[in-house]
Amino acid sequence: MKRIYLNNCITSQPAPEVVDAMLPYFKEKFHFPENFIQPGTERRREIDEFKKIVADSINAIPEAVHFTNSGTDANNLAIKGYISANADKGQHIICSIVDYPDILTNAAYFEESGFEVSYLGCDGDGFINLEELKQELRSDTILVMTTLANHTVGTLQDITEIKKIIDESRSEAALFVDACQGYGRVPIDVVDMNVDMLTISAHKIHGPQGVGALYIKPGIAVAPTRHGINRIDPLATGTISIANIAGFAKAVELAFTNFKENVDYIRELTRYLYLSIERRIPYTMLNGAICEFRAPHNLNVSFDFIEGEAIMMMLDQYGISVATGSACFSEGLQANYVMMAMERNHEQSHSSMKFTLSRYNTREEIDYVVDKLEEVVKELRRRSPLYDDFISKNNI
Amino acid sequence: MQYSQKVLDHFMKPHNLGKLDKSNAEATEGSPACGDQVSIWLNVNEETQLIEDISFLSYGCASNIATASIITDMAKGKTIKEAKAISWKEAAAELDGLPPVKMHCSVLAVDTLRKAIKNYELAHHLIKAEKGALNKEIVLAELAKILYPKVGEDLISLKMVKYAGVAEGGKVIIDVEIPKFDKFRENVADEIREHIEKLPGVKDITINM
Repeated sequence: MKRIYLNNCITSQPAPEVVDAMLPYFKEKFHFPENFIQPGTERRREIDEFKKIVADSINAIPEAVHFTNSGTDANNLAIKGYISANADKGQHIICSIVDYPDILTNAAYFEESGFEVSYLGCDGDGFINLEELKQELRSDTILVMTTLANHTVGTLQDITEIKKIIDESRSEAALFVDACQGYGRVPIDVVDMNVDMLTISAHKIHGPQGVGALYIKPGIAVAPTRHGINRIDPLATGTISIANIAGFAKAVELAFTNFKENVDYIRELTRYLYLSIERRIPYTMLNGAICEFRAPHNLNVSFDFIEGEAIMMMLDQYGISVATGSACFSEGLQANYVMMAMERNHEQSHSSMKFTLSRYNTREEIDYVVDKLEEVVKELRRRSPLYDDFISKNNI
Repeated sequence: MQYSQKVLDHFMKPHNLGKLDKSNAEATEGSPACGDQVSIWLNVNEETQLIEDISFLSYGCASNIATASIITDMAKGKTIKEAKAISWKEAAAELDGLPPVKMHCSVLAVDTLRKAIKNYELAHHLIKAEKGALNKEIVLAELAKILYPKVGEDLISLKMVKYAGVAEGGKVIIDVEIPKFDKFRENVADEIREHIEKLPGVKDITINM
């Protein structure tokens, strides 16, 4: 049986059509996009077409979209570029304790360089505290950063409401949204949401790794963060991979052609996975918001009395890829910060498992995953002194 | 970073799993908050001091389960004196090695075994309960059980502890050298706090990094 991949929030399998769309740019269409020379002009025109496809998917004008070398690159350009162009207006920025690491590490970087940072708290489902946002906004706040879909539990922040709060405050802060995890899974309309900057990434939606994009609302000043030769876009210096951009555009076409059907399919499959776990495995807990308030491809569940790395390793032996919030699997051996921010205890964080689905997953795969998961949880609980304790204390 | 086949074998099919029906000593070490806890049961022959049977339960990751499994294999049939001498490095070597970040699992398994043996010795009056005052040596011995996950060696061997002292009223002061942006900084601080806190007589801990 082929490996069942449920780690689509980390990266996703490139669609075959995406690979096909990229290949010509590794062969005959290798030219650098430049003016007057025929092949160069053609490449330039193609990039413009690709850009229009990507821009349309978030209802932006193409001129407002800038390609970057990854989602993280786009996040850095947005945050560092905006702050560098607007630091004269103030030295205060706001984000939340559940934001994506790109935001948190940048916030720490600016804090270190003398900026003041307010970190908003969140509730038990991972929604940031909007009352706190109201209180923290000041006349010298220049930037509010948030993550559309939480990378751990999929909780969707209310971007429209956040923007409204900023607009009604005395602050003139810009709103930056990291939408890499939500893009292609929830509708994004930059005009409706009225965001100032927003980032997306190709490889989370079956595009290639190594390309992302930053949307900047016309009128918002962002300074370049990488200085160098400028042929295509002053914000994207150096050579940019047209092959990756072609793949990105194809991935967008595929994701957005039947957007609702695609998303409904994934949502239904995720729901099926959750209901099957609920029905067959006792002592579990859902992490994150429910139904329409979470990204449709994300399911995060804690399994009491056992530890997540062991669950993940055993599922791996059965050919299933999933992720865990366990400290034993984290880089710094620390409990997952999103889980801790949502006031889960250490055990619930260590036993949290993240399943992120894609349109390539099937119901048969989910059935197999739940069969194996049931087996693995039962086996690990049989080995657990915590479960043993629980059983003897409760006479089960 | 990968687990050896032997780690995976012991993880998938652990040896000596479960509680013993007949046992005369047991110990539990670690804590669920840290994500690893091991319980070991012993059945020691009171005449020969041989460990005739041994078993474990484990809450933890794959290498936690594998190290608990291998330590029970290694201790079975040995005298308590021989079993006490098994080091965490030997246990890890028996599994064809562990990734550095997982070496602490081996320390926990060995610690639990030694604690179970100690409990046996105490119950059978083979040793006396220690009631010595908290001192620098006890603190240093405890710090030698904490590994720096980046390389899988203990803080003392790596000369990362620049100062350890005990002041009036059970105040322990420890200076550790660790780079500011080291990803294991918080982990090392948590581990020190957790280990030193449980030493008898400790009222307050100051960790300077």
